[in-house]
Amino acid sequence: MDSVKKSWVFRITIAWFTLIIFFAIFGPLLPLPKWDQVFDDALSVTPFKQGHILGTDSNGYDIFSGIIYGARISLFISFTAVFVGGTIGSAIGITAAYIRGKFDYVVSTLFNVVLSIPNLVLSLALIAVLATNVDPNVPTSTGRRIMVLVISLTIVIIPILGRIARAATLSWSNREFVLAARSMGSKDRNIIWRHIVPNVLPAIFAVAFLAIGVVIVAEASLSLLGAGVPDGTSWGSMVARGRNDIEFAPHIIIIPLVCIAFTVIACNYIGDVIRKQLDQRQAKL
Amino acid sequence: MLLPAWSRTLTTTIDGNTAHLRPADQTLLQIKDLVVEFDLGGGRIVKAVSNVSLDLVEGETLSIVGESGCGKSTLGKAILQLPAPTSGSIVFQGTDITKLKKKELRNVRPAMQMIFQDPVSSLDPRFPVSRAVEEPLKIWNRGNEAERSAKVDELLNSVGLDPALVRDRRPYEFSGGQCQRISIARALALEPKLLICDEPVSALDVSVQAQILNLLQDMKDAYGLTLIFISHDLAVVKAVSTRIMVMYLGKICEIATPDELYSRPLHHYTSALVGSVPVPDPERKVSATLLEGEPPSPLDPPSGCRFRTRCPAATELCATEEPMLRLAADGHYVACHHPRA
Repeated sequence: MDSVKKSWVFRITIAWFTLIIFFAIFGPLLPLPKWDQVFDDALSVTPFKQGHILGTDSNGYDIFSGIIYGARISLFISFTAVFVGGTIGSAIGITAAYIRGKFDYVVSTLFNVVLSIPNLVLSLALIAVLATNVDPNVPTSTGRRIMVLVISLTIVIIPILGRIARAATLSWSNREFVLAARSMGSKDRNIIWRHIVPNVLPAIFAVAFLAIGVVIVAEASLSLLGAGVPDGTSWGSMVARGRNDIEFAPHIIIIPLVCIAFTVIACNYIGDVIRKQLDQRQAKL
Repeated sequence: MLLPAWSRTLTTTIDGNTAHLRPADQTLLQIKDLVVEFDLGGGRIVKAVSNVSLDLVEGETLSIVGESGCGKSTLGKAILQLPAPTSGSIVFQGTDITKLKKKELRNVRPAMQMIFQDPVSSLDPRFPVSRAVEEPLKIWNRGNEAERSAKVDELLNSVGLDPALVRDRRPYEFSGGQCQRISIARALALEPKLLICDEPVSALDVSVQAQILNLLQDMKDAYGLTLIFISHDLAVVKAVSTRIMVMYLGKICEIATPDELYSRPLHHYTSALVGSVPVPDPERKVSATLLEGEPPSPLDPPSGCRFRTRCPAATELCATEEPMLRLAADGHYVACHHPRA
């Protein structure tokens, strides 16, 4: 672990996470223009000009403020989806793998069915069903759109992490210490909580970080398709709104894209670090 | 149908194959007609243990030997209901534990403990030693924190580990032999009557094997244990057993005391096993016939005697009729149509 901590990639990753999480939490308190404040006199300003750190877009919105506000939405959506989906998926996966039999069969079949549907198609379908008003002329509120996005991405995450949890549980619950605990008269609930969950968690965490990256990209893709958060309030929708200006003001689209890319790479890297630690620990066994 | 009087004894043996069992009131554990089947799906069923009966008198050490895959480990685990056998009865201290409800079974569990083959995988890698040994006490709420801690120290001491040194360490910091000592300490925490040792030394170095065997013997004397000792190594088994049971493809071949079994193996399979024990003497000629081939698939075992496909003395009879266990000498039972002289 120490050698990893000293590597500069790890430091940059941690620095990046600290930065975006800091801005996501304290952004609104900073003396910055509001994300939806229009600067009529400064359209498509390039970075570091006219007092806009990252410039403005073609509508005159300040991009730095947009990024900060977008970080809140993008991170909220991805962390919530992965946390909720991971918790539900792990609970189902661990239970199924522990009790085996028909329940396990049904659960793994369901997981495979959901996994066989491409992520984007599934979330698009869910959004189409959940985020549409009966009267098509009444627009759905941003809050509801975000809720629906979170729910649909959660449903996408459940089988991904559930399958990992199931596989890890299968390998751990066959270890002899589980058998020993059972022969001592330990209750199943206690075996799962004391022996299975703590050993399975690292594997889930490793994949969960990869999943955060997947969800950030999925959210951006949905925004690009017009099914994400409206009004350019997430990184994805900033890209979506700026895509027409790519010829004459590329920074409008590049800045949010870089943020997405950095965050996804950082998530993948952390997932990798956890997985390596896991491999090392298992090699010691 | 009227049968002659002599055939009645024959019929009873065919029904149960239980000639070797002693009266039930003398035994700590009596297993009758135990069958363990595994459903592999697609209608394929493996009979890992088929109609095995055995019994144990208190204070005895019964060794179960046989090749890999002969069902000896499955038998050991089935006794603990991990998983429960398909059919048959297991009477432990007067109660048939196969008929118990989950809660009642749980109350019987402390009296039967098991030690496993892989010493490292028998310990949770996340638990320090003290917590691993304390776990059974915690499950049963025995004593308060201080009492449990004292008990853990006592157990660690008795298995030859220095509590002060090992308490806070984790399993990966120990060698296989030390891990096995910790497992033994953990198994003894609940003061069991019956200890099932599933190949407890086969993953260890020879020098450590001897230490663990001695330790088991000491613990047996100190805690008044009855042991079932599962192994594939006859040399190991010879030192510890009161009786030895030889298994082949889920069936019992022969039961005898160690001296009798080594000096006069009656079953051809036993004789091959005994002959395969390496003897550290270059002058000694290899006289025993060594076994050829692999054991047949338990999915489709041979008819009649299961050993006939590899047996030098097999005849027509062996293919048509299954040999039953019968008394050959005092305390020596063999299931063979043509036992060795």
